[in-house]
Amino acid sequence: MSTSSSSPSSDEEVIFNPNPIPKPIDDELTLASLTLTESNGNGSVGESDRYGGAGVVLEAEREGEREGPSSPSSSGYAGERGSSSEGTSNSRIGDEDDDGIQEVINDHDGFVDGVGDSSPSASWVPGKRHVDEDDASISWRKRKKHFFILSHSGKPIYSRYGDEHKLAGFSATLQAIISFVENGKDRIKLVRAGKHQVVFLIKGPIYLVCISCTEEPYESLRGQLELLYGQMILILTKSINRCFEKNPKFDMTPLLGGTDVVFSSLIHSFNWNPATFLHAYTCLPLAYATRQAAGAVLQDVADSGVLFALLMCKCKVVSLVGAQKASLHPDDMLLLSNFVMSSESFRTSESFSPICLPRYNPTAFLYAYVHYFDADTYLMLLTTSSDAFYHLKDCRIRIEQVLLRSNVLSEVQRSMLEGGMRVEDLPVDPLPRSSMPHRLSQQRILTQSPEIFSESIVGIGGPTGLWHFIYRSIYLDQYVSSDFSPPISSPQQQKRLYRAYQKLYCSMHDKGIGPHKTQFRRDENYVLLCWVTQDFELYAAFDPLADKAVAIKTCNRVCQWVKDVENEIFLQGASPFSW
Amino acid sequence: MGLASASTATDGMQLCIFDLRRGQNEGQELDKILFFFPADLPFSTQLSVIGLSEGLITFTRIFSPEAACEVIEAERHSHVFYEAEIDIWMVMVVEKGKDSDAIWRIDALRKVLKEVHSLFVMFYGSIRAMLEKDPSGGLIRSHLYPFIMDYLSVAISRSLYVTFLFEADFPVGKKLQLPSFRDCLKERGTVQMLTMGREAAIEVQSLVSVLDSCAGNSSCYSMILFHDLLVSTTLSPDDTINLFTYAVLRLSPNALSSGVNSWSYIRRGSTSSHFVSGSALTHSGPVSEQIYHSSDTSPVGNNINRVTRALQHGKWYKGKDGFLVTDIWGVDVGSLVCATPTVWLQQTEEAMYLCPYQFKSLTLILLIPVSSILNGEQGVALVKQQLLENASLKILKVEEKLSKGWGGENAYHVSGYRYLLVDGDRNISRASPPGKVTTLAKESLLALSKLRDEVDLEKSRAKRDNAGCEKDLEVSIRAKNNAWAIARITGGKELYMVLEKASETLLYASDAVEKFSNRLSFSLGLKKQIVKHENVKNEEEDFNTGPLSVLMMSVKNNTQVLINCRNNKKLLGRVRAFDRHCNMVLENVREMWTELPKTGKGKKKALPVNKDRFISKMFLRGDSVIIVLRNPK
Repeated sequence: MSTSSSSPSSDEEVIFNPNPIPKPIDDELTLASLTLTESNGNGSVGESDRYGGAGVVLEAEREGEREGPSSPSSSGYAGERGSSSEGTSNSRIGDEDDDGIQEVINDHDGFVDGVGDSSPSASWVPGKRHVDEDDASISWRKRKKHFFILSHSGKPIYSRYGDEHKLAGFSATLQAIISFVENGKDRIKLVRAGKHQVVFLIKGPIYLVCISCTEEPYESLRGQLELLYGQMILILTKSINRCFEKNPKFDMTPLLGGTDVVFSSLIHSFNWNPATFLHAYTCLPLAYATRQAAGAVLQDVADSGVLFALLMCKCKVVSLVGAQKASLHPDDMLLLSNFVMSSESFRTSESFSPICLPRYNPTAFLYAYVHYFDADTYLMLLTTSSDAFYHLKDCRIRIEQVLLRSNVLSEVQRSMLEGGMRVEDLPVDPLPRSSMPHRLSQQRILTQSPEIFSESIVGIGGPTGLWHFIYRSIYLDQYVSSDFSPPISSPQQQKRLYRAYQKLYCSMHDKGIGPHKTQFRRDENYVLLCWVTQDFELYAAFDPLADKAVAIKTCNRVCQWVKDVENEIFLQGASPFSW
Repeated sequence: MGLASASTATDGMQLCIFDLRRGQNEGQELDKILFFFPADLPFSTQLSVIGLSEGLITFTRIFSPEAACEVIEAERHSHVFYEAEIDIWMVMVVEKGKDSDAIWRIDALRKVLKEVHSLFVMFYGSIRAMLEKDPSGGLIRSHLYPFIMDYLSVAISRSLYVTFLFEADFPVGKKLQLPSFRDCLKERGTVQMLTMGREAAIEVQSLVSVLDSCAGNSSCYSMILFHDLLVSTTLSPDDTINLFTYAVLRLSPNALSSGVNSWSYIRRGSTSSHFVSGSALTHSGPVSEQIYHSSDTSPVGNNINRVTRALQHGKWYKGKDGFLVTDIWGVDVGSLVCATPTVWLQQTEEAMYLCPYQFKSLTLILLIPVSSILNGEQGVALVKQQLLENASLKILKVEEKLSKGWGGENAYHVSGYRYLLVDGDRNISRASPPGKVTTLAKESLLALSKLRDEVDLEKSRAKRDNAGCEKDLEVSIRAKNNAWAIARITGGKELYMVLEKASETLLYASDAVEKFSNRLSFSLGLKKQIVKHENVKNEEEDFNTGPLSVLMMSVKNNTQVLINCRNNKKLLGRVRAFDRHCNMVLENVREMWTELPKTGKGKKKALPVNKDRFISKMFLRGDSVIIVLRNPK
């Protein structure tokens, strides 16, 4: 079953049964809809005999996921696409565990690496794995993606797999290669061997190395190393460089004790979070008024000596406000939210922790006050003074009161459940749509009516073969990504699509000659269209047989659609960026 | 020229060949190096290049045992690896961004290495074999050094040839011409075919059969070129590429004339330069030899003087009988007859005498198995003689036919397009003439070169992942300067294109590509014929089993068929021949129809009358056929 759920045909199957259930319901109804699905599938689709069973299972998974109160179908959050039932999640391990290796699948491995369950903190501990391995073990050598951080004297600092101390010899080898090339007055960037790429990033006394046999292009791997370095700076600031100046043999591992989870969850997010290569952040879709309300109260706080105030839900921004002239780089936000979300301690109580924003000021510490309002929604207040805890606590209480009064938190919950833009909902007519605030709920009701049902049979995924899109607004530094629709429903396929986007992004943004203006790319898996203008970038994925002319038209419609709803999906106006 | 260029042509490029099996022990590291360019680099530098290469080969094998290191990209250099033979590596180090043109496409550089090696093997056999013959390594070094030095200056003369049209007196540049991004519309390691008409093809075919049988019953191979384009070959694909490359470099009329030119240039420049290069080589060779091998023994030293420099410039000239001769392979002092060069064929693993013959723009290369000729040079001369007797008339005819159809240098230019079409299965490529490519803007070329880099990666990935399955990919990029860079790969064929004038939309650009690829696939000579053959075969099968089997039966068994025609007449006869359009040649046909007799006004309507006539032979056009019935009798 695990294999068939990822096969494209069985995914198509699902389209014929678009999930009609918008709200959590009890088990009985689920069962009923399941049987309905089954008969539907077998009745209406010729091929269903072959895949009927698989289709049903997949449907069940999707429903389960929609029902789970804490598992929103957030766009771009592939990791969460796991099912809420233990049984299925185990059966899908083989599919998802892409960064691991096929040969060594054990429960632990698959569970941890593959499925970000409905509540990641509870069941997914993104810590170090395979500690027993070292560079001599075959399983270690076969891992798809290694990340290493080492010091310029060859001391290991972090390794994604295996115990750092056992890898001392290996990191000495890496160090030798780097310094050998440096002796020739040069700096090594990349070694390619067959499927494998070894990417080097040299940051002063810190060396970062990625060994990967995924198909990601060099530029994205390098970008990932930059982020990894940024994450380290976020924890320690750049002042560690001085430690190395004093003592080249300085051992950094104790300083980073217990932060394995932060790194491994960042590395995990390279697979599902487009923010890691787009250098932009995404917002939770909310009615304009709701976001305004949240923004207003944050603004109040910001005026009272807080540098940045962020209200976030998982990795999506609800609202964010910065003090005058201070701007927060999207990469910093990614690293910060990763840091907060991956550390268990932040969830349990309010906390006050020193952090450093590498893009803002890599040399100085800021202080972050973090408080979770519920399982997903949390508030971050950043300040420069180390004794502002009580002040920030007061601020938080004030904010919480306002948020509760204005129903922002419940709106956030609702939005998480409802998800974002779905390609199926792409307006067929290019006319601007009114009454956007209730767009989603309307849509859900419509979905149950037979007309829409038959309409979605026509197109696979969205209309005219549109499967997915990402729209990045250049001025706002924000992106919006559509929810995943049936043709791309397994985490495996989602990851593959992200990799394709990554490749497209790199090819468009070539350092020497880029950015290009348009790119059309067709291969066995997708038709990809990328369109870069001064205002926005659009990445769209179509069915591989999609017609070019229609695809272009569809892209125009997507842009129009995004413009129509931009008040909901983007954080407008109060943008903290100096542009 | 060999050494003269060596000192000046460094230009940030290093090229080395080393053997991992040698020099394992401490202090013997120098023994690994079989070739290093530039040779005057200090040994410590040479060793560090090789040490890094070797280290990374070992390192990458940890993770990827099946494919070791292919390339190292550093900020200022790229190291390109090629494992020529098992454990024998060629590494080329190029400097990046030194001048604005120093942007390389890795795959193109690797193809250079590959070309060097396969040419070397064609003349001297494998490096490993030579190492086994002389474990001290002196023999291989003494061969590799002049060969590669000649090759590197080949690159010059090739660029000379390109620019030759524009600047007749182009000085022989010392600069090494490596394939940079400006060469992204060229493909090394492929042959360029001449497109010819049907008649010419038939003439060529008959000439080829004469050539192949000219040495009695032993199998000869032949290759025919017209200008720098391949007309026909009977060699295996790999051997074809090697020999073709060599022919274009040294044997074709263009190469000969440019060779003469550069020779005369040297003569003029420094009278003894030619001599100097020879003697300098023998000097420089031993110098490094002695350092590599202080215990170098004299026999090897003697050999050095007699190493044949297969790629030496301007050493081929046309004899009175039309055959090209060279003294590279030595001269029989007594008779003043030049020794006939020999080459190794990879496929049959056979040594062959290489006999090129030239008539105007036509170059014939005849390969005669060494084993079939017992009395050496005399035997070869005999075969040549025979060839002239049997084939000279045919050669004349072929030349005439080909030059009639020859469209000149820019024959394959398609206005508005700059393209490269590669047929990977058969190693054939066709490209816009170089003169036209130079009109493109740098941005456009860079964009395409970059795109080709990406495509190269995709291709190698596809090859590794599923060897049988061919990559299907189409990428169109609109660069900053609004030019389109397009790559399209289907069924083993690759089309790369730059469209600068198409300021239009993506649809326009892809439409243009569509049109273009349709057009080109027709003009790719050989393929068409092969396809045709296949079609014929398929057609025959269809006729035996498909609906047209009714007609086929009639042809074979001479049975009758009844044909209902659109003029409402019927034909009963026997089919002599037919095609897939139901055009038929019929015999002993009875044509039958009905007529209403003409009646006057007011009279009773007349009954239709049956009429018929006999036709002994007729042609029936297929579009008038409605129904064909077999006569069951």
